[in-house]
Parts: sequence; C-alpha cells; structure tokens
Amino acid sequence: MKKVFVLVIAILAILVPAFSQAKVPEIRVISKDFYPTDPDNLTHIANIQKAFRAKTGLDIKITLLNAPEGSYPEKLNLMLLSGDIPDIIYFQGNDEAISNQGMLADLRPYVEKSEWFRKAMLPFNVKRLQNYPFIVWLAPPRLNTPAIRSDWFAKWGGKIPNTVDDYYAMLKKFVTSDYDGNGKIDSIGLTDTGNTARIDFLFNHAFGLTTTWLKDASGKFVYSKVSEFEKNKLAFYQKLYKEGILDKDYITTKWDGMEDKLYTARIGMVVGTPGLVTDIYETKMAKAGKGNEYLVICPPAKGIAQGFTVDVSKESRGYAISAFSKNKDLAWKLLDFMASNEGQLLDRLGVEGVHYVKKDGKIVLTEKFGSWYPRFSEVVGWKGPVDVLGKGGRESLAMAVKYATVEDINFVVPKDLAPAWDACSNVYKEWSFKFISGEYGMDKFADFTKAWYAAGGDKVTEYANKILK
Amino acid sequence: MSDASRPNAFLRSLSRYFPLYLMLIPALVYLTVFCYVPMWGARLAFMDFSFIGKHTWVGLKHFRTLFSSPAFGAVIANTLIISAMKIFINFPMPIILALMLAEIRSRKFARVVQSVIYLPHFLSWVVISGIFLNLLSLDQGAVNRIIVFFGGKAFPFLTQGTSIRWVFVFSEMWRSIGWDSLLFIAAINRINPDVFEAAVMDGAGTFRRIFSITIPAIMPTIITVFILNLGFFMNAGFDQVFNMMNDAVLSRVDILDTYVYRLGLQNGEFSYATAAGLFKGVIGLFLIFGTHFGSKRLTGKGVW
Repeated sequence: MKKVFVLVIAILAILVPAFSQAKVPEIRVISKDFYPTDPDNLTHIANIQKAFRAKTGLDIKITLLNAPEGSYPEKLNLMLLSGDIPDIIYFQGNDEAISNQGMLADLRPYVEKSEWFRKAMLPFNVKRLQNYPFIVWLAPPRLNTPAIRSDWFAKWGGKIPNTVDDYYAMLKKFVTSDYDGNGKIDSIGLTDTGNTARIDFLFNHAFGLTTTWLKDASGKFVYSKVSEFEKNKLAFYQKLYKEGILDKDYITTKWDGMEDKLYTARIGMVVGTPGLVTDIYETKMAKAGKGNEYLVICPPAKGIAQGFTVDVSKESRGYAISAFSKNKDLAWKLLDFMASNEGQLLDRLGVEGVHYVKKDGKIVLTEKFGSWYPRFSEVVGWKGPVDVLGKGGRESLAMAVKYATVEDINFVVPKDLAPAWDACSNVYKEWSFKFISGEYGMDKFADFTKAWYAAGGDKVTEYANKILK
Repeated sequence: MSDASRPNAFLRSLSRYFPLYLMLIPALVYLTVFCYVPMWGARLAFMDFSFIGKHTWVGLKHFRTLFSSPAFGAVIANTLIISAMKIFINFPMPIILALMLAEIRSRKFARVVQSVIYLPHFLSWVVISGIFLNLLSLDQGAVNRIIVFFGGKAFPFLTQGTSIRWVFVFSEMWRSIGWDSLLFIAAINRINPDVFEAAVMDGAGTFRRIFSITIPAIMPTIITVFILNLGFFMNAGFDQVFNMMNDAVLSRVDILDTYVYRLGLQNGEFSYATAAGLFKGVIGLFLIFGTHFGSKRLTGKGVW
C-alpha cells in the first residue's frame, strides 16, 4: 500500500506541473531582429514573463519566432501569406495590404481600456491611431535632427546655427577650411543617403514646405514637391552641391557610407535619427577619433518657418495583433505591460549581468549596453534609475520634441492609385537630382511639374482634393 | 521502331542506365516542386488575392492595371534594352575567353587563369555593387581619380542614364565571363586533338584552326546556350539593378523586376506581382520557341 501511495505521488508530481504548464496561454511574437537564436532575447523574454506575472497576476508564455531570411517587411508578408500568423506582429511598413484583408485587430478599444499604454501615448500617436487603428508604436517621433562634429564646431567658432544663412555660412567654412587637418581643402559639409530626405528635415520648413500637401492661392491642395517652395529649396541645394557643401556622392551613399564619412571626418554634419541612433553615432565617432569628440545638436533651419513636421496619417511601423489570435486580450496586456514602469525598466535596460550590472545597489551600464535597444517600446519621457541615453541622444530627443510642432497634411495613397503614385514619385526623384546636380537649370522646373502631373500626379492631386479638408 | 517496341526499348534503357536514371531523380523532384507546382499559383494573376476566404476571380484586371500604368512602357523598354545589351555584348565574351584559354600552351597557367576568373561569380551583387560604387564614385572613386590625375574631368558614371547601363554590362561581364566560359571550355576539350594536329601539319595557323575547327565544333553548344539565354531575356538582372540603381537614373534602369518588387512585394499586391511575373514568363517562352524554330530553319540546330 505504501509503495502504491509513493507511486501515485510520484506520478502526480510529474503530471501536475506538466498539465499546469500546458495551461499557460502562449503568445507568439514576431519582430525584426528579435529572434530566439539570440540568448539575450530569450533571457529578456524570461524576465518579461516573470515581471508580467508579478504585475498582473497572469501567466504568459511568450514564444519568439524567426522571420524568414531576407528583407523583413517583405518576408514577413510572405510568412503571413503562408497562413502562419503570430499573435503579435511587428510591422516595418507594408502593413496596409494585410490590414486591408481584415487580418489585424482594431486596437482602439484595447488602447481605451489600457492601464499604461494610453498614458504613454503622445498626441501624434493618438492621431495616428484614430486614422489607422491597426498598429501602435511607442517611440519618439521619427524625425531627423542635425548634428555637428564638436571638433569642427569649435574651430568654426562655436555658435549654434539657426537660420538658413547661419547654416550656409558654417557649412561653407567647413569646405573651405582644413578642419580635418589632412593638409588639403577636401572636406564636405554634409551628405545624405540616396536622396535628400534627411536634409529636408533641416531645410523644409525654412523654405515653406511645412506639410506634404499645401493649399495654393485658390484654396486647392497642391503636392508640396511641385510647389514654388520646393523650387526655391532645390535651387538652394543646387548651390550647396555646386560649392561642394553637399556631398557629390550623396545619391549613391548608403547609411553605412554616411556614418563612415562622419566617423572619419570627411563630413562635418549629419542629419540623423534622434535618441539612441545619435548616441551610436557619437560613440562610434569618438572611438574612431581622439575619444573626446561628440555631437552638437542643432535646431532645424529658420526661414519662412522653423520646425519639424510630424506625419499623423498612421504609424509607419509598430506592433499589431492578429485578428485571428485566440488570446487577443492577453496579447494586448503584454503590450500594455511593456509600456508600464516595470516593462520599460526591462525593455530599456536590457539583461542584468550583460547590459548592466548592479554595484552597491546602483545600476551601472556595461559596454554591451551600446548594442541594446528596446524590443517593444520606448516611452518618451520615461524616467529610469539611470540615464539610458547619452548627451547627444538626450539633446537630440529634446530638440525633436521641441520642434515637432506641425501636423502633416497627408494621406495613405489607396492601392488603385499605387502605380500612378509610384510613377510620379519616380519623376520627382530623378528630376530633383538633375536640378541639384546642376544638369538642369531651375528654369526647367515648369517642365518637371508638367512631367509629374502627366506621370499620374494629376490623379493623385484630384484624390487629395477629395479627401483632404 | 514500332510503337509496340518503344516500352521495351525504354525498359532496356532503364535497366542499362539505371544509375544514371537514379541520379536524374533529384533534379526531376526539384523541377517538379519548385518549377511546375508553383505554376498552379500563377492563376493568382487572374484573381484578387485574399488572405481570408476564397480569392475572387477578376479576369484581366491586373493585366489592365499593369499595361495602363504610366511607367510600364518605360519599364518594358528598359528591360529590353538592358537585356539586349547584356546578351549581345556579353554573350560572345565567354566564347572568346574559352578560345583564348584553349590556346594557352601551359596547362598550369591556364588552370590558374581559369580559377581566378571564376571567383567573381561567387560574390553576391551586394558585394559587387559595393566594389563598383566605390570604384566609380564621382568624388573618391579610383577611376575618376585616375581621370583627374591625367587632366580629365570626373565623370558621373553612376548617375548618367547613358553610362549606368554600360556599368551594368561591364560589371555583369566581370562577374560572369569566367563561369560562363566553362561550358565552352568543356565543348572545346571534347574536340579530337588529332583534328588539330592534322590541321597544323597541313599548315593551318591559330586563327584558321579556331574558325575552321573549334568554332564549328562548338557551334551546337553556342546555339543551345544562346537560345536558353534568350529564355531569360526579360530577366535583366534584378539583384544587380536593385543594388546598383539610384534615384538619378530611375527612368533608365527601372526594369520589370524592380517595378514588380516595389509595387507587388513592397505594397503586398501579390496578384499584381503575379500578373507581371506571368507576363514576363510568357514573353520568355515565346522567345525560346521563336529562337529555337528560327535556328532550326537557319542552321538545322536547336535546343531539341
């Protein structure tokens, strides 16, 4: 009898935990570069599961998924197309085709009843959710802030540029001086990565390009890139290009090339993503140089206006919940938890012993912290026990928030107009380079606008005037 | 042979060459799984794709959208021009290289040369485009530095519509010439050396031997490879173009594949992308049949 009793206890000891484990609901998560092959990610997930239980009293089993090899946005869609649909999906664009199919849950009711997420949203997040309720993303506005090498900035005189003229004077001095000390006058003022999208953040408002669609004198909406404001801006860029201030190779420069030119003191200024990315630039620049270089963060140029435009049509990237998920509530609770103080503590600091250590009760970031970034969300204004951003990161974020004052007037181009939009966008891309490089004089701007409308811009403009108020 | 004896002949052949038939199986499985089964998916070109429920039959809607796109004409023209430049300029190069290698007397040296020229084939277009972008950079590129050193003016190879296509042709040549010459080298090696010896004894020089013996002997290989290459005529080289293109030359280098990639895959318009892919496949098929029958009529030789 005693043996039977021991046997029953032993069987129960094996089976009970097994059954109880099987009851823990599973949330499958797919996100870019957040793969189960990285041990740090697995430890991070284990920590989240533990903290989630402590905070909410709920058990959760988070399973990270591998995305197929290749470009994440495209491969993700192919994965979803195959019928493998995780509960939580991170999109980095290309999500309209999926949401149009009714595959993503409307997140507005979840945000409405959230404990932490709603409070962490900035006004532009709220607008984006209203306009497109399938993706949420807690992060600083995706802008680009100007940053100057501190050594060149000091040699120039140390005055923060503010107006277009200030920027021109400083950049001109960069290219006519030997600030890199190689004995040659061969420096470049600034560069971009394949187009002028980055430096547009610096100069758009100064030239009156405050929104994507602008109202003309008759009250009709006109695409900003075919406006007189754009003509003036391109004429300015043409001047910068001609004088060697704007990199002659900007059109073929990729992001790594741009960084390399900054770190090796080929250029004096970059326009980059504020926060973590600026911190990374700063760290790498100091490593490649004498070690004391940093980035001086500057405001957008002042002219007709001064500021950054924030697109509120939708989140350009972020997390969605599958409409087919059996655990939508729990999936949301996880996203909500990650916006809480406890969630942020885990997501912003990384793994203890790897990305930070505790010394005398204080958190000290390790060298490996430089490679960590929040996997779920980056709540703006979150105050942690230690500064997770460096000086450049903090200042660039503050600059972005200070000047991100204008809500964009824009819309998501419907799929019927996609071929027309593609064609007229390409017309702009090609003509704008020809203007900037000086191949075409600005007197041809009227020909460009004609070509833009003929390529499909007329259809898109007609649509814009129907839906924009 | 009568129809009745055909199965017996096949069985005899199967029994005789069983190991060879066995080796054929993986290739047949590969072709079936990756080439023939996906053809069933091509019906998506005539449907509106739906993740949920059934796809909706829409007939030629996606083809109409494709052909009415303002950019489509230019995209097709670019595809044809870049493909034609690559085929007509690059196709003879591996043959010339194979002929030159066959004339090298030192076998050791020939093998070393062969090995060196194969290497670029194993580099990805990401790496190759990086090399060419650096070489041809307007400001810092080695080529422009040499031009400037000799008193010339730096030339924007990568941002001029006229020159970028030549960059495609020459970078493709650099990558593929060694690898593509393999077939022709193999074909040359199959020629009986006695024929060459007899020609030498009759006083034939190098060029005479090449034009009277080597080229006629490898002509079936040349024609077969040419016809098969034409089958890929509408593939102007997505990887290469995608990695080397830039905004300045979009209207000159945007090919069917990059167009489909942008509109189809990036925007998730799978049906639209399938329609464009099917269009490309049908053109390729016509080109193969056309060239095969044309070649049969003119030279008596074809793919089959």
